[in-house]
Amino acid sequence: MVVLLQGRPVLLSRKDSGHSYSSVKRCERPSDFVNYLREALEGVISNLKGNSGKSNSKMSGRPDGTMVYLVFDNLERVRDWDKSSTILPFLFNLYDILKMPEVGLIFISNTSPDTYYLNVGYVEPVPLYFPNYTEDDLRHIFMVNQANRKLYAAFLDVVLRPFCRVTRRVDELAAALSSLFEKYCEPLSDKQVVPNEEMKRKLFSQIRPHIASALNATFHVQSQPLLRAETNKETKKTNSSRMSGYLEDSDKIDFHMSTSAKYLLISAFLASRNPATLDASLFDSTGVSDSRKRKRKASEKSMEQKEMAEQELLMKGPGTFPLERLLAIFQCITSLAEDSLDEEESHEPTTEGGSRGLMSDVLLQLSSLCNANFIIKGGSCPLEGSTRYRTAVSEDLALKEVANICNDTSSALASSVLVTQIHTLLYRTWQVRVDYISRSCNGVADILARFGRHATLKGSLLVAPLDRVALLVATDQKHWEEGRMAEGRMRAIPHG
Amino acid sequence: MGREKEKEKPSEKALNLLRSRLADPNFIFKPLSDSPDSNYSKLKFIISTSVTEACNNSILLLGPRGSGKVAVLELVLSDLLQQYPDVISVIRLNGLLHSDDNCALKEIARQLCMEHQLLFSKVASFDDNSQFMIAMLRECGLAHKTIIFVLDEFDFFAQGKQRLLYSLLDAMQSVNSQSVVIGVSCRLDVDQLLEKRVRSRFSHRKLLFLSPSKEDTERFMEHILSLPVDSSIPQNYTAEFNGRLKKIISDERFKELITTYLSFNFTIGHLVRFQAVSYMDLDVGFLSLENFKTALSSNQRQSKLECIREYKSIHDSSQTSDNYAANVCLRAFEHLLQRQLISFIDNKGHNQSVEFRPVKLLISSAELHQGLKSSHQCPPVTMLRAARTHLENPSAFWLLTPQHLYSVMH
Repeated sequence: MVVLLQGRPVLLSRKDSGHSYSSVKRCERPSDFVNYLREALEGVISNLKGNSGKSNSKMSGRPDGTMVYLVFDNLERVRDWDKSSTILPFLFNLYDILKMPEVGLIFISNTSPDTYYLNVGYVEPVPLYFPNYTEDDLRHIFMVNQANRKLYAAFLDVVLRPFCRVTRRVDELAAALSSLFEKYCEPLSDKQVVPNEEMKRKLFSQIRPHIASALNATFHVQSQPLLRAETNKETKKTNSSRMSGYLEDSDKIDFHMSTSAKYLLISAFLASRNPATLDASLFDSTGVSDSRKRKRKASEKSMEQKEMAEQELLMKGPGTFPLERLLAIFQCITSLAEDSLDEEESHEPTTEGGSRGLMSDVLLQLSSLCNANFIIKGGSCPLEGSTRYRTAVSEDLALKEVANICNDTSSALASSVLVTQIHTLLYRTWQVRVDYISRSCNGVADILARFGRHATLKGSLLVAPLDRVALLVATDQKHWEEGRMAEGRMRAIPHG
Repeated sequence: MGREKEKEKPSEKALNLLRSRLADPNFIFKPLSDSPDSNYSKLKFIISTSVTEACNNSILLLGPRGSGKVAVLELVLSDLLQQYPDVISVIRLNGLLHSDDNCALKEIARQLCMEHQLLFSKVASFDDNSQFMIAMLRECGLAHKTIIFVLDEFDFFAQGKQRLLYSLLDAMQSVNSQSVVIGVSCRLDVDQLLEKRVRSRFSHRKLLFLSPSKEDTERFMEHILSLPVDSSIPQNYTAEFNGRLKKIISDERFKELITTYLSFNFTIGHLVRFQAVSYMDLDVGFLSLENFKTALSSNQRQSKLECIREYKSIHDSSQTSDNYAANVCLRAFEHLLQRQLISFIDNKGHNQSVEFRPVKLLISSAELHQGLKSSHQCPPVTMLRAARTHLENPSAFWLLTPQHLYSVMH
């Protein structure tokens, strides 16, 4: 008979001798559950008693050793249920409630009984403690069913002790040791050979460098080479599998993200980790303002204090940031990236290459990163009313991303960052009308924009038009006249 | 087959006999109930008077768990059922199951139907059930039959609005009925939980079941464990067994053992579960003091200290040159969480990744110290030790995050 406990509604299903479920009853309340259970148990017990000895007819009144045991496995999960404060006492008192001496209850749990002692109280079940395996036990366990026992014994001698310091659980150890054993056996041509001392030493020196890396990868969810070899590449982007996503011996990140998503991730990391006050100095494109401050030689105490403050900040974890700040940093990063490639790129109109590089919907990316738990959405700031976000990636991952991007020359860090900025502007809450003015008619604005970006001062006051500009005004005028005649054909509005 | 039965060693037979005795509550509580001022007699007197004199009554049985309240009640009821057949019907409710009023009335109706061979309808509403109950009470009153309501875990019925209690007690007063309400509870102050209107209808009779005195305990143990002289076990074995038992019981060390055990498990129920009998060595054939000692040590709560001992061997870092990666540390941290040596401070911390949620240590630093000290197998520095050094900083509350632990470890 199988009893399924699923939170409050409880399922009681009956399995007959043919191992099929003959009847299923669903009940919502413990009282119904107990009634059904009692009926079912009485049926089962009378069956059992009828099947076993008919010779003891005079002893049929007394319990004669036929027992039905109800086994509850993984009991610690019940603690996390909503109704655990009523269900746990109910379970532990089930024996008294049923009052059937032929029924025994067995509870299996991997936490100590201490953790179940709630205030309500019940007569505690008899505890039976299974201690952890010792190293010798583990050795015995792993030696079972080995083809070449001497070889495996030599392997275990070397490997078991460091691994036992990490974990003693058989399932975790088995996974780690099996792959390591294959590496161990690699140089051997004959797998059935019995190793002598010299061979053992050689094998040990060969496996040694791998032990450390295998130790750190102990809690890998190993991707079985037999199944799902390549779909494992896109491992789930959740926190729990951050542990499984890394190959310790390579710096690759084995999941794919679009470049803009990577940039967004990095900007989120920067936004979380740096206080907002540093933004101006970090992202100032001129990079000159610092030198204007007089630098005083910092005393040792203040250096120490600064370090402590940094450590504190690191310990507290990532901070929250509003959406605007994220986008501002994102723009800074991507525009810096664009600059570096500006000279190489020709002045092609940016309408083509729509799928290249960073042309993507930033907010869409943000929401997908939130769903993938790379960025966590926090509560809203009570003053501003906007939602705040927080990064959930570690420094390692962020650094790897950066390395990735820098090394990745094939990604088109194209000049379409401008389009991204346009998109962010479009999403603000105002009415927008987009018109297209070709570059040939707009040379003045182009020149002025470049002038402003590279100016050494924060703002420039131009009293008279620049020299370069004066010439261009005329050219623009000419182009504009030409353009207007072909207006109809040129109403192409760039949209991502 | 028959030959095997004969060859069964007397020690095995004795063991079986003892075990069956320990599992039978009737046997355990009968000797305690023989004196005239025991709870058994009082209870029997109360119920039988209300049966014979056709009056209503209510009573509370109070005492810690395992002190035999329900066992004594069952003894009384079985005796009375033999004495007055067909006059008494018993309705049993349990607070864990039936604290909801609808549920409780449904169960009452169901049991009444079963008793009196009526058809029970599962879809009857609350009003139907309560009217049925009142009608039954009246009918039984007219027929001079007593209904006894046994309310186990009475404190659960006293939660909420106490509708059931009120309707029961009210029916007892207004309708021409003969019924007895017996409440059984572990809370000694459960009558304070009753509402005013319920309490006024409740007769304040209480029977307290307290733990037995030392002499009583010794007498009880001797009674339980002595083999009867007239059983199928050979005489000389019985005599020797009983003799040895007497010697053990009068031994000082045994008295100490029992006092230790009873200091935190002080009821008869707990005493009975003291598993010395199962440790009896069948080859030797007799109980010995060592059996009792083993039972005591195995019965002491496997505290979290054991868990610490086991996990200590996992979390060492700086004595050896192992430098564990973050994921190994994180996994070790999750193991600690699972074993409930630490726990998250708030359950709503889904805003942050696991590494930065603050946790608190669930064991005291004394326990921690003890657990770490007493493990033989590994070098002393561990993750928990790191936690302890962090916590010894008086300005820090018992708050740390995994990030702290990594930094201390590396």
